[in-house]
Amino acid sequence: MQRKLMWRWVLIGVVTAAAVFFMLPLDKRIHLGLDLRGGIHLVLQVNTQDAVRAEVDDAMERVRGDLTEKGFAPVSLQRLPESNGFEFRPAPNTPAKTLEKVIDDRLLEFKVERGVAITATLRPEVTRAIKDMAVRQGLETIRNRIDQFGVAEPLIQRQGIEGDRIVVQLPGVDDPARVKDLIRATAFLEIKPVVAVAPTQETLLASSGGEMPEDSEIVSGDVEDLEGRVTGREYYLLKKASVVTGRDLRTARRSQDEYGQPAVSFTLNPEGATKFSTYTGAHIGDRMAIVLDNKVRSAPVIRGHISDSGIIEGNFTVQGAEDLALVLRAGALPASITYLEERTVGPSLGHDSIIRGLRAGLAGLVAVVLFMLFYYRGAGINANVALILNAVLLLGALGVFKATLTLPGIAGIILTIGMAVDSNVLIFERIREELELGKTVRNAVDLGFQKALSAIIDSNLTTIISALFLFQFGTGPIKGFAVTLTIGLAISMFTAVFVSRSIFELILSRRERVTSLSI
Amino acid sequence: MRFFHGTHFQFMKYRRFWVTLSTLLNLVAISLILFGPGFKYGVDFAGGTQLTMKFKSDPDVARIRTSLENIKLGAVTIQRFDEPERHELLIRLQSPGQEGDFSARMITALDQEFNAQTAATRLNLQGVEAVRDGLAQADPDSVGGTFDNRRAHYEPMASGLLKLRKEMGILNGPADLDRIKGLSSNAKRHLADNARFGEFAILAVDNVGPAVGKDLRQKATYAVGFSLLAMLVYIAFRFHLPYGVGAIAALVHDTLITLGVLVVTGRELDIPAVAALLTLVGFSVNDTVVIFDRIREQLKLHRGKPLVEIMDVAINQTLSRTIITSGLTWLVVIALFLFGGDVINTFAFVLLIGIIVGSYSTIYIASPTALWMTNLLERRKQSRRRR
Repeated sequence: MQRKLMWRWVLIGVVTAAAVFFMLPLDKRIHLGLDLRGGIHLVLQVNTQDAVRAEVDDAMERVRGDLTEKGFAPVSLQRLPESNGFEFRPAPNTPAKTLEKVIDDRLLEFKVERGVAITATLRPEVTRAIKDMAVRQGLETIRNRIDQFGVAEPLIQRQGIEGDRIVVQLPGVDDPARVKDLIRATAFLEIKPVVAVAPTQETLLASSGGEMPEDSEIVSGDVEDLEGRVTGREYYLLKKASVVTGRDLRTARRSQDEYGQPAVSFTLNPEGATKFSTYTGAHIGDRMAIVLDNKVRSAPVIRGHISDSGIIEGNFTVQGAEDLALVLRAGALPASITYLEERTVGPSLGHDSIIRGLRAGLAGLVAVVLFMLFYYRGAGINANVALILNAVLLLGALGVFKATLTLPGIAGIILTIGMAVDSNVLIFERIREELELGKTVRNAVDLGFQKALSAIIDSNLTTIISALFLFQFGTGPIKGFAVTLTIGLAISMFTAVFVSRSIFELILSRRERVTSLSI
Repeated sequence: MRFFHGTHFQFMKYRRFWVTLSTLLNLVAISLILFGPGFKYGVDFAGGTQLTMKFKSDPDVARIRTSLENIKLGAVTIQRFDEPERHELLIRLQSPGQEGDFSARMITALDQEFNAQTAATRLNLQGVEAVRDGLAQADPDSVGGTFDNRRAHYEPMASGLLKLRKEMGILNGPADLDRIKGLSSNAKRHLADNARFGEFAILAVDNVGPAVGKDLRQKATYAVGFSLLAMLVYIAFRFHLPYGVGAIAALVHDTLITLGVLVVTGRELDIPAVAALLTLVGFSVNDTVVIFDRIREQLKLHRGKPLVEIMDVAINQTLSRTIITSGLTWLVVIALFLFGGDVINTFAFVLLIGIIVGSYSTIYIASPTALWMTNLLERRKQSRRRR
């Protein structure tokens, strides 16, 4: 064997060995996409306006507090609809100095217009920063929750032109409803003093003299029977100011109440514990409400001084208690969340898709292999070797690049089978033409490869260009298609041209004078 | 063995007829899209919520429809998915025009309509952890100890159950429990008596809100448009401008005809269909390039020979290759179409049509257009020279 030819085969051997090394074991090396493995893909939007509104409300309350404290409660104070600001009329006798101090202290991030009424609007750059922060916190919180829930290889990413979208991909999730709830749960925990309880809102208001006190609010809660079934609704008049909130939590975990029912117990951080113990110590015998996402979960009577721990009861399943503990630990979302897109594939559909994809691929492969043998005889074997090698190298490449195999990706492989032989067909047809023109076998093979090359490169490149657009456009599964098609075609240029040529060379070098070629 | 050996078809002779026919067909396709029934957008582009469900037995479509229409979210369409004996349905809720998690509400409505409402574990709807916790709570094997201790005991049984569900798609009833390896007889009895099998399982959920739907439509249009443009640039760069125009004419033709066929057959235009369309663009150019390559070569060999004749020679010389490659790819696509399942069916269908149309247009559209453009440029050059 000539030395040059030997090096060719060494190269082919090395490449093949590397491919086999990288593709085995198949189930470890080849990453399956969500559509084959089952899983959930979510695109969600963080409603950043929530965070902006909270900021404005906060500033409003601080202004009210400061002025009231100094004895000049504002005449009116209200949020401006359709804008990130509020308006207030200070009491006429408010000294200018006091007013200016409050504005300087509390409205740093606002653009303030002074008149009879004072208008404060959040500065645009501050609004932007708040929105950005809300998305970042949202992302962090969701990541925390997913991490604690324990999903292997999750993908959680920020996306969108305004950057307010988050993409979450969780492979292998078998209970999508649960995960969706877990991600979406705002999980805002507050513990508030109870003023009064009543079965309807009207009786509740009547009990406090028909008018709602400024510092209070009405929150509803479910009434349950002994077995935990919801039998009705109750209304609570609560103080607006919380004793502690979710921010004061150190940790939370699933536990049991005194009847052995699942519950969530929590401990507070030192700061929260101080507030909590002062309050409970002073209010033994009163009731406090545990409010979660603006719904009263329970309203126990304070029996004694509690320092740093508490329990949330009420109609939990084990899983429900566990999930609540999880979201409390992971932190509350800074803003509500809307699902913009959901793609869930159950494991059985994915399983089915794999089987069918393999079946279709095998059928296609057999058909092509048989045709090539039938039509090109000896050279057909050559093409088929190149074809099989193409498939092996393709799987190896998927392993090396850690690419994800999807159902359209399988279709891409199947399609590559058809397109990869194209190069061989181009070459073989050309060789046949040259032989017909009376060239020797040696010459015909050389010329066939030479002349077909430009067409092979052009035609593969055009398909690869369109695959690149596909990659740009596509969602997950389609990206998988673009990837397998591109890799497959790139490899086909190696297998159909280089490998196939080497096989011809091997045949030609074995015999002194070749007078015929099986093609 | 050889097909189409040494042919001398006069393809270019009838070019006016074929180009006219194709133009007419294109006009028909355009009017079908614009003035006719138009595209039937799939859930990707139209937005909406689609459930792929598997039922135990032949599902009562009317009952499904009523129960979903009762939640008053919008119109519901129901169609069969895959082979009838699989009892699978595609249930689509048209987009109510707002963002939201409608799949959960649809599933709840169907669950209430079809399944007994008990607090028991829902074997066909819940995951490993719910099944495990259900068993751990009831503790049929009397393992005792802490809850986590019991969980560890029942975990493999729950995994076994989910594995069987993965293979079968739906667990039909207590009899299927016998097929789960490692499920203790007490646990089996407990599940048979207490757990809920229900009538259906959810195979897949697609919920696309208006914002994402709009994004995807836009992206798809850009992708198809830009890939056509990229092809024009590439071919014009590799060959001459007239050839670029010829290739693009063929591509636009293929795209329009294939889209027209989608409209006529009432198949949905969704992301896989667009992906197939883009693939087709690549494939069709591929064919065209091979012929153009041959024309270029022949032009060098036979200077002075009229371009029409050269084109005929080039097409004839590459004919067997064109047909063999298209045929082989078509064969492969047929395999995909027949065995690939319904998820990938539209994708395969578009390629099935597209490959035929693409091979035809390579011969009858690309070269005549390139010829016409060349002549046009030539005449202009001459008239300028005369002046």
